[in-house]
Amino acid sequence: MTTTDTGHDGVRTIETGAVPARFARGWHCLGLSERFRDGRPHTVHAFGSKLVVFQSGDGRLNVLDAYCRHMGGDLSQGTVKGDEIACPFHDWRWGGDGRCKKIPYARRVPLRARTAAWTTLDQDGLLFVWNDPEGNPPPDGVAIPRIEGAASDGWTDWRWNETVVHTNCREVVDNVVDMAHFFYVHYSFPTYFKNVFEGHTATQIMKGLSRPDARPPSKKGRPGMLGNTSVATYHGPSFMIDDLTYHYEGMDLDCVLINCHYPVDANSFVLQSGIIVERDERLGAAGAEEMAARLSDFILRGFEQDVRIWKNKTRIDNPLLCEEDGPVYQLRRWYEQFYVDAADVRPEMVERFEFELDTTRPVEAWKKEVEENLARRAAAAAGGASPGTVSRDAVSPGEVSPGGAA
Amino acid sequence: MTARPDERLLDGEPMRPVRCRACGAAVQARKASWQQTSIQWSAEAMAACLERRAAAAGGGPNGGCFPACEALRASIVQAALDGELPVADDGGDGS
Repeated sequence: MTTTDTGHDGVRTIETGAVPARFARGWHCLGLSERFRDGRPHTVHAFGSKLVVFQSGDGRLNVLDAYCRHMGGDLSQGTVKGDEIACPFHDWRWGGDGRCKKIPYARRVPLRARTAAWTTLDQDGLLFVWNDPEGNPPPDGVAIPRIEGAASDGWTDWRWNETVVHTNCREVVDNVVDMAHFFYVHYSFPTYFKNVFEGHTATQIMKGLSRPDARPPSKKGRPGMLGNTSVATYHGPSFMIDDLTYHYEGMDLDCVLINCHYPVDANSFVLQSGIIVERDERLGAAGAEEMAARLSDFILRGFEQDVRIWKNKTRIDNPLLCEEDGPVYQLRRWYEQFYVDAADVRPEMVERFEFELDTTRPVEAWKKEVEENLARRAAAAAGGASPGTVSRDAVSPGEVSPGGAA
Repeated sequence: MTARPDERLLDGEPMRPVRCRACGAAVQARKASWQQTSIQWSAEAMAACLERRAAAAGGGPNGGCFPACEALRASIVQAALDGELPVADDGGDGS
């Protein structure tokens, strides 16, 4: 580790920096709340510790530290008894408020019989916990917005996926400003890209074209996919809602995509995606479900593409940027607000910052590259060789066409 | 994890003050090219912005995001045309 960016002979030195010693203050989604409603306690490794999630008899979902304050038993291996979670070691009963309610073999509960209880939010089918290293409740103004489609019959149910990623979670947050990786890693084609950071939110506004070189030609009689418009906002450090519209010839298709995570420890996190799709009669009875399923696969593929990069890359605190890159440093300045005490949040971390990228040069370069890929494919097909797309992983939701089952 | 400065502002054009011709809001702005724009707002500028005050929240879960002030955008373009705000890559051909 050096303190200068340039070492001998003008060689740029990578500064990896240290991963933060604490976990972000904010709401973190633990996944579909339904998953926790089976009457059993669930183990969740998060924020450097072990949590137990359980539904009490009153229907509420509760989150406590998993380790029993008595002799350290694991409550997530215990049993739900009424409104309490019972420790498998000595049957101590803990309520969702973190207080020990009863010790069946004792005359009374001792003083100080209180464990850490996490503030929860059960909204739109998702369970959230509030993490604050200072122990304060969520302040006004950081609420997770409602997702109307999630509670509506006019939309599909959530399709949810989660995967453990072994790196610090800043890598996934960096993607919000990283326009060029959408072309090179995810085979999409951004043509407009803007970021807005304000308060506890960070937004990415992106418009894109479909990539004809990254998918088979659209089938005859099906409307082709033209492109997409996406407004994706991080509401706090870890929960992104993407309002996403796919534009087809003659119709638009609205989706809401969730990209969220919670840290397991400093060097791993659980990455989750969720998707709902608006039902549209033009999609047919099962069309929206099928679309959701395909999009869900597509997003999973996208995560795999990111993970392959993350697995092999280094953490870098001093990225070297060109003018066609997004505002990485300003994003990290925004992100830092979640890692300092609330009293130490500086104005520049939360003051509005806008960055509109000039996509002229990227679009020129990428159009050329797409044309070259198509020409190569055509030549290979003519020569009888395997046509091949740019990659075996290059799957786009453009394959999903309205008009019924494929 | 202390945030570092964007080196592009040190090696190229820095952010410079621009005033909105509609409301007088003072922001810091930068144009790396005619199509690129960075805008750093302050709390005072936010309070002064008329469009922002008039903006109704849009639909959907991200409707709270105010995408841009058009008057400020026009003011920044005008400042660039007037030469008050240098445009770093003024070549026009992107090279």
